[in-house]
Amino acid sequence: MKQHLGRQSGVQTVEVSLLDGKVDVTPKEDGQIDPVQLLKATYDSGVTAAEMDMTARGKIVKDSSGNLALQVEPNQSFAFAPNELSKGLEALAGTQTIVTVRGQLYKKPAGKKKADLSAPLKLVILEVQKKE
Amino acid sequence: MKMKRVALLVLLGSIAVVPVVQAQIKHIEMRVEGMT
Repeated sequence: MKQHLGRQSGVQTVEVSLLDGKVDVTPKEDGQIDPVQLLKATYDSGVTAAEMDMTARGKIVKDSSGNLALQVEPNQSFAFAPNELSKGLEALAGTQTIVTVRGQLYKKPAGKKKADLSAPLKLVILEVQKKE
Repeated sequence: MKMKRVALLVLLGSIAVVPVVQAQIKHIEMRVEGMT
């Protein structure tokens, strides 16, 4: 699995802990990483992803449907799953403020072995770490 | 005069680079099942 993930675009390092089933992925400083591709690569390597958490920095934007999202690249953004923390960021939409958040991008649905990755991932904000 | 020009170039360069560097995915952590 480490090799599978390490081959993905934008991946700097992959650390796998067999003991607790934890996989840490560090993106390249100047690369663009696609979490959906990482999930697919994980399945391709024969294991099931139960959860995926992400720490990211970006601007708060409103997408075409009016949903709040974190824009991490000009062509990459993650829509928020609405919660109290995402509501607190609404005032920053469209501003130049850079926000660092930690959130859950994926959780395996109960009872299912494989998730449907065709739908866009929604970011459930767990923590707002910084506003600059 | 030359120093002024160099300083201006550095300033313009940093303005162009900063927004790209600031926004990015910093870290991804997964919990997986079925790993041997």
